[in-house]
Amino acid sequence: MARKRTKASAAGAPVTTVVVMRLYVAGTAPNSVKAIANLKAICRRYLKDGYKLEIVDVCEHPRRALTDGVVVTPSLAKLSPAPASNVIGNLSDTGSVLAALGLHAGAME
Amino acid sequence: MNHAPPARSPSDLTAEAAFKDWIRRLVKGAAELEALEAGQIDAVMDAATGSAILLPGAQAALQGSSRLVLSALEALPGEVCVLDAAGTVVMTNKAWRAFVVARAGAGLGVSEGANFLAACRNAGAPERVHAEAVAAGLREVLAGRRKLFRCEYVCQFPGGHCAFTLTIAGIAQDGAVHAVVTRENVTERKRARLARGSGRAKTSRIAAVARAGTPNRLLASLPAKEYERLLAGLELVKLSYGDVLYEPGEQMRYAYFPSDCLVSLLTVVEGHRALEVGLVGREGMVGSRLALGITVSPVRALVQATGMAVRIKSARFLQEFRRSPALQRALFRFTDALMIQVTQTAACNRFHVVEARLARWLLMTRERLLSGEFHLTHEFLADMLGVRRAGVTAAASALQRQKLIRYQRGIITILDQQGLELAACSCYRHPQVMGLEAAT
Repeated sequence: MARKRTKASAAGAPVTTVVVMRLYVAGTAPNSVKAIANLKAICRRYLKDGYKLEIVDVCEHPRRALTDGVVVTPSLAKLSPAPASNVIGNLSDTGSVLAALGLHAGAME
Repeated sequence: MNHAPPARSPSDLTAEAAFKDWIRRLVKGAAELEALEAGQIDAVMDAATGSAILLPGAQAALQGSSRLVLSALEALPGEVCVLDAAGTVVMTNKAWRAFVVARAGAGLGVSEGANFLAACRNAGAPERVHAEAVAAGLREVLAGRRKLFRCEYVCQFPGGHCAFTLTIAGIAQDGAVHAVVTRENVTERKRARLARGSGRAKTSRIAAVARAGTPNRLLASLPAKEYERLLAGLELVKLSYGDVLYEPGEQMRYAYFPSDCLVSLLTVVEGHRALEVGLVGREGMVGSRLALGITVSPVRALVQATGMAVRIKSARFLQEFRRSPALQRALFRFTDALMIQVTQTAACNRFHVVEARLARWLLMTRERLLSGEFHLTHEFLADMLGVRRAGVTAAASALQRQKLIRYQRGIITILDQQGLELAACSCYRHPQVMGLEAAT
């Protein structure tokens, strides 16, 4: 997918770090609902306004999920800042989500 | 539909194991497998089919929530059906099905699996006009040209007539447009409204006028009391394509209020073809010269789109006109608009190119008929625009090349309303005719 890059990120020197994520879910299935709730709680607590989250429903857009290399849902992909990483499951393990997002619970609080 | 879960047979268990095995093979990564074992996975992507495979837990939950939506739809008192992009009925609710059973499939009572557009095409003669309008509206919605279409129509059943309000709304689904159709029976409400305070009027006449479906905007603008007084003198008529209502120099025996038909006013000059100078639809009245106290028609009034109208005897009209200030105001406003239209048409015929005039004429027809599709021959259009047939053919081809209209076997379909407005000369929308703004 073509994505606009800002001048700052193109130069590799972002002024403020915005975490860009994409969460793949399956409609309103139980783990998907939990993943959305867990991720939103984590974002509220640790990222405040410094994040962008896109939620993709694989039941509606299966082709897109396949193109993005998604194998199972729920699945969270951190797209930026580099390095890209991902977490599988309902995101109830806050520690591993923070690690994947490049955050550390202690440092951010 | 609450079924008890079936007892699991050994073959079910084998199938379950095979399903799990298959899922494990699709899920390759270690983290993915770990999450799968922990029961944290809802769906697995299958590249072979390009779809998401829901695991049993997720499937049950999603089915549960869609069942709830379906139950809600089912319980709605209004009649609802859902159509796919081709117009085929994919879902109906209880009220809709009850209607279909009660009316034995007549009157756009379409069952699941049947095609709504085909039902409109095959509608019986009495509801044909309305069915065509509904089909045109549905096509507009399915093509994504409009989000909502609403109309009133009337059906004839063995037990009498029923009036309906029908709404078609587009729903975007998998890159295509589907539609949800809701229908409400408004017969009782309509009868009650018409019956109020008009004791002298015969019930059959009220029913007949109520049957007209799409009301005439000029009549609709009258206060209830004055409308009801007029109603006693009104009678419902069907005007067919080609009918001549007046000839120049003849007495006008009736005044006509078109509902969903369209009447052209033509000037006949000796030695030449007739030329259209005005167009009257649901916004006005044919025979408005009566309001000026003159009972002889200066023009030929020719029906150019079949539909219903109500008419009133000229003497009766004059009698009501004298005692109804609201009717006077409405008529003066309409006569003024018509006069401007006639003046504008005269200038337009002289100064503008055929293509722009054709675009304007199609737009004017569309807003009066509430439909983007109409039956017209080149011959007829040539008369309307006062040009030779070849000129119309060239202009229609030019508009077709720009993908603004489609012209097939005498049926013109407006494909791009905005584009056509740009192609039309400035005479379109000048002036704004009262009564046409609200429903376009």
